[in-house]
Amino acid sequence: MNKLLTINKEPEIALKEFLHFLLEKKKVSGIFSLRKINDKGSVDYGLITDQENLDEIAPLMPLMPANAGQILSRFTPLEKPIAVVTKPCEFRAFIELAKREQGTLDNFLLISSSCSGVFPIKMNASGEIEKHLPDYWEAAKKSEIHPEIRPTCKACEHFAPENSDILISLVGEDQKTCKMYLHSEKAVKFAEGFDAQVSDEKFDLSKLDPLLKKRKLEKENLFSQIDNSQTKLDGLIDIFGKCIGCHGCNSVCPICYCTLCDFDSFNFDYNTPILERELEQKGAIRLPPDTLFFHLGRLSHMSFSCVACGQCSDVCPADIPVAAVFKKTGEQVAGLFDFVPGRNVEEEIPVMIYKEEEFEELGK
Amino acid sequence: MTEVSNKDGLSIRNQIRDFFKQAVEKGIFDAVLMPMLVPAKDSYAWILSKDKNLFEDFNPLAPIMPVNAAKALKRYTRKGKGKFKIAVLMRPCEIRATIELSKLKQINLADIILLSYDCPGALPMQDYISDPEKGEQVFNKILNEKDWNSKDIKPVCQICDKFSNSASDIHFGFDDGKILFISNNEKGSEILKNLEIERSENLNKWEKNIAVVKKQREKNKTESYRTISSMVDGFSNLKETFANCIGCHNCQSSCPICYCRQCYFDTSVSKPNSDLILIRAENKGGLAFPLDRLMFHTGRMSHMSLSCVSCGLCSDACPVNIPVSKIFSYVASKTQKTFDYIAGENIGDALPMRDYKLDELGELGKLVKSAEPGGETS
Repeated sequence: MNKLLTINKEPEIALKEFLHFLLEKKKVSGIFSLRKINDKGSVDYGLITDQENLDEIAPLMPLMPANAGQILSRFTPLEKPIAVVTKPCEFRAFIELAKREQGTLDNFLLISSSCSGVFPIKMNASGEIEKHLPDYWEAAKKSEIHPEIRPTCKACEHFAPENSDILISLVGEDQKTCKMYLHSEKAVKFAEGFDAQVSDEKFDLSKLDPLLKKRKLEKENLFSQIDNSQTKLDGLIDIFGKCIGCHGCNSVCPICYCTLCDFDSFNFDYNTPILERELEQKGAIRLPPDTLFFHLGRLSHMSFSCVACGQCSDVCPADIPVAAVFKKTGEQVAGLFDFVPGRNVEEEIPVMIYKEEEFEELGK
Repeated sequence: MTEVSNKDGLSIRNQIRDFFKQAVEKGIFDAVLMPMLVPAKDSYAWILSKDKNLFEDFNPLAPIMPVNAAKALKRYTRKGKGKFKIAVLMRPCEIRATIELSKLKQINLADIILLSYDCPGALPMQDYISDPEKGEQVFNKILNEKDWNSKDIKPVCQICDKFSNSASDIHFGFDDGKILFISNNEKGSEILKNLEIERSENLNKWEKNIAVVKKQREKNKTESYRTISSMVDGFSNLKETFANCIGCHNCQSSCPICYCRQCYFDTSVSKPNSDLILIRAENKGGLAFPLDRLMFHTGRMSHMSLSCVSCGLCSDACPVNIPVSKIFSYVASKTQKTFDYIAGENIGDALPMRDYKLDELGELGKLVKSAEPGGETS
């Protein structure tokens, strides 16, 4: 099922018209999209059910105030789907959550785009975003990396989800024509009756190559900064030593879906004698305890599903490069299982699969 | 590192370290909790040490407050009293948070000795972390020049008028490179006596200096509250001020007073099903996500503002630079005034919500009466 809708308008305008169409024809019960909350260009996510409020949406704004995957997972089954516009990593996060029974794809018509990255959250609040937008779309057109986008975006290789219901091609496009690729029967059904030029065409992946090449280089660069192959535990202490234990990384992480993280639970609230014993053995202890343990625990719980959206780094009050560490570790772990988080909802999470013969070298 | 020194050539920091070393040697304390530079030298952590050799690495006067000491102490004593006598050196706002947490049964103060000092304020964490070396210099300059009106300290520190003596057992007053040892209770006096330190008697000059700074801070506070009131008074202002909140709850998790293991706003109760979400969206034509961000802040305000000590950690932890701490400080000043209560000032003052008074908030009673059928109409 591969169809292309071509609309001779700027992508954002065409997309907005499409969303208007879906809501007006009552094909969906609402539109979930970024929307402007002031005239400085700040956005948040909104679920819009009234046509009149649709004008405030900014579906393609390069910002991520929250990972939409996390929000969508809170939707229990719906009668009629909601049309959702997300960044690819938000889409991938949602796929991972769906695998964990934290959401259902049937609820949504998922619209994504080939993504040139997002700006840091601080920019959403500071009101500086507008001045960067012309450069940003120019970079998208030329398949370049905008210098101000998140570090993990610069290093992202999975920036065009072919399995979203609809993919809007933005990277390497002139930004004057909107190309919407319909990837599912659901998408075709929903787009029926929308005024656009229809053709049978598959999204050409090679279009992404120029940007992909640059991103790969950036990734090597990013990973080389997080190298503790020599420094081991000391290196990790150097990276995470300044953590203040707010667990903001955990609370904004779309993959960390636990209502109460184990590290915030009673399990880690030690009785005084336990801490006293440690104090006597070591001579000194850090309080609150388990600073590094928390990050190692989180790495082992979720890193193979890490979609490298970068929310964790953006909210870290101590400027720890959390996302870079998690992306690097996550790719290494997922790589062992030939697993790419968010690639396909059918692809099971590695820890859920039992194979009789696996990692034989560990047995030895 | 250059520091103001007294006649014996010992810097304030060394004098403090010596104090603790002697006290541990004499068995007055078993362990000491104080800030220490982390190995990468880019921040500080609270270290509880029994080992005297590590005391050299303590920085009693750390330029930043990444974690409120009350929170560190809570993790050690929440489950009850231990077997060691532990001395903690804190900023006055951390003492206040400790007192509040002790009233809230989150800290057990038996065998804990609280020490405070004249606090010059703390640098904003982001400023320090972006350039720790410069942060050290800036802070030492503030200490050396006794620049109590520095604009480099956190906004909430600039309006703090409770920066000196506190509800600690012993307070260190700083007077021209000398430490004034002030005991605030029997426990403190006993310790000073055992250490053969004379309680400083002549405090006149120091008190005068503190009073001058206090006056300036009060002025700053009045001005600052005026700005804040225009940001938060009334629903539409409040909504706009918190519009950029991303719902990470960093303010809550770094807050020393918010001690709930799981905040109500993080529970499943706060995560409605789709049908409810749709009803809410349809009622208004649109619904903002993450849900209930303003509700979270007003909820937190109503839960903890009576105990807010204005330490400013919430602002340090906010990724979108909302002036959370000034807002909470402003609201707290009002709620605490209503009950004639000052958070953390005195361990004997009951928490307003725990304290039943027969005659209290009489004006509310009148309001209720006037609303009753046949009641007064005024």
